[in-house]
Amino acid sequence: MAEYSTNELMAVTAARRLQNGMIVAVGLGLPQIASFLAKATHAPDLTMFYEVGVVNPQPIDSGVGIADPRLWYGNDSFTGLMGTLGEILQKGVCDIGFLGSLQLDRYANLNSSLVKDANGVKHLTGSGGAADIATFSKHVFVIMRHEKRKFVEHVDWVTSVGCYKGKKSREEAGLPRTEGVTVFTNLCVMETGAESGELEVVSLHPGVTIEQLKENTGFDVIIRDNLPVTPEPTEDELRVLREQNPAGV
Amino acid sequence: MNKIRELSDIVREIPDRGAEIGLGGFIINRCCMAFAAELIRQGKKEIELTSVSGNMESDLLVGAGCVKSYAYGGGSLDHFGRLSRVNEAIEQGRYNIKEFSNLSMALRMTAGTMGVPFIPTKTLLGTDMLEKLLADKEDSVYIGESPFDGERYVFLKKLQPEYVCIHAQAADELGNVLIEGPVWDLETAKAGKKLIVTADRLVSNQYVKNNQDKVTIPGVYTYAVAIVPYGAFPAAVYKEYDYDAEALTHYAKVNQKQETFDEYLNEYILGTKDHNELLEKWGGLARMNALRADPAYGYVKGGGGHQ
Repeated sequence: MAEYSTNELMAVTAARRLQNGMIVAVGLGLPQIASFLAKATHAPDLTMFYEVGVVNPQPIDSGVGIADPRLWYGNDSFTGLMGTLGEILQKGVCDIGFLGSLQLDRYANLNSSLVKDANGVKHLTGSGGAADIATFSKHVFVIMRHEKRKFVEHVDWVTSVGCYKGKKSREEAGLPRTEGVTVFTNLCVMETGAESGELEVVSLHPGVTIEQLKENTGFDVIIRDNLPVTPEPTEDELRVLREQNPAGV
Repeated sequence: MNKIRELSDIVREIPDRGAEIGLGGFIINRCCMAFAAELIRQGKKEIELTSVSGNMESDLLVGAGCVKSYAYGGGSLDHFGRLSRVNEAIEQGRYNIKEFSNLSMALRMTAGTMGVPFIPTKTLLGTDMLEKLLADKEDSVYIGESPFDGERYVFLKKLQPEYVCIHAQAADELGNVLIEGPVWDLETAKAGKKLIVTADRLVSNQYVKNNQDKVTIPGVYTYAVAIVPYGAFPAAVYKEYDYDAEALTHYAKVNQKQETFDEYLNEYILGTKDHNELLEKWGGLARMNALRADPAYGYVKGGGGHQ
């Protein structure tokens, strides 16, 4: 078996869940890398877009963020924030909103705004389009490091709503229905339960123990029975990933 | 009517206290840097500032103490860093900073462009941004039911700032605006009661008549145009010039503390009489030439702003 990094495992695992023909709202970093990997392997007809107003880019150089023209190269069309967030997303045609997050709670609500500690509040970036993407995508993918201070009972700030307070609370609060949230970490894959809206571990990465997972999760996470091991990346996937890796992670 | 004027002349007519101003930049692209700097030079205070997303232009204005309130959808300097002046104001509860999301701010501007009093949406529902706005009795958000489907919506109040500024690649003397690349700022531009455009290049109206498909904002919206080459520096302008990675890295460092920010302000903004002098301070034409974009790619291929 080929050697691979944790980031590569995360990217490959997420990429495999992206199906051909899907429409995906992507952010910079691993979400973008996973999306390009899917497009270059099993999902050539994947359509990606950035909220800034860029649809179906094919970048050949790495950039610093979605406002960097390097990442717009080779696209099919330009629009604006209303064209992406206000129309593609709000109309409900976006299959996957692919996000990173600072914190996540058991109902997969995301915090990308601020952290609270003994010294008070530290504000970081705020929503940007993240709240809008999580509200209107049919399904949300989150990719982030698995640490106790990141997977918490209550996030310090709900920037983007996942399954809100579980069960039917999302619809009751007036939000569009969600198919759920899938989370890719360096330890495992989690999905929100169809009825409960609570995160459940659905596969453990090679070599990771349940003990290790519990130690790094700040809430009592549900672990499915007969937990499979996440399949390792193939040599082919790793080759494609290393060849293109447009965001240079 | 010829709408071309000097930037300093346009800014001079903006009230010294309490002006409503909307800005159109996005993160590190087409930011209204020359305009923001001129507001600071002319000592504008208590600005009621709005923008869809935040970037260096708003961080400068907040850091320079020009702002009374600021409504925005979050923001950063991408991988270069954070809007530390805005963030510190939030952390310390100063300047009445109101956080929305990008779409909710774009929708407020859209209601402004259409002249309708509000626009319904489901975004913000369930978020702490909405919780906080409601707790602060912010009058631009209201939760109500749609008369058509009976569902719960956030009604967002229209936004029509007295002045808005966007930076574009080119404009003609009648105020027709030519933008290449994504157009995240159209709603902001059209929502303003008086649209000020800073543009890198002047084109003639005859050029516009031969290239109507390049016009993204018809001149009917435009109040005044200032031709300011490299007016978005150190941000990028697609197909014109790249962002200046060194200058952005420098800013993302000095903005972390008010003292170092103030030094930056004194040197580059208060210490220069206009944008040209500011560009000179950074190395003038030689530096700008190194940032010229390859039009085939829209950025400096194989160098320049590349990290």
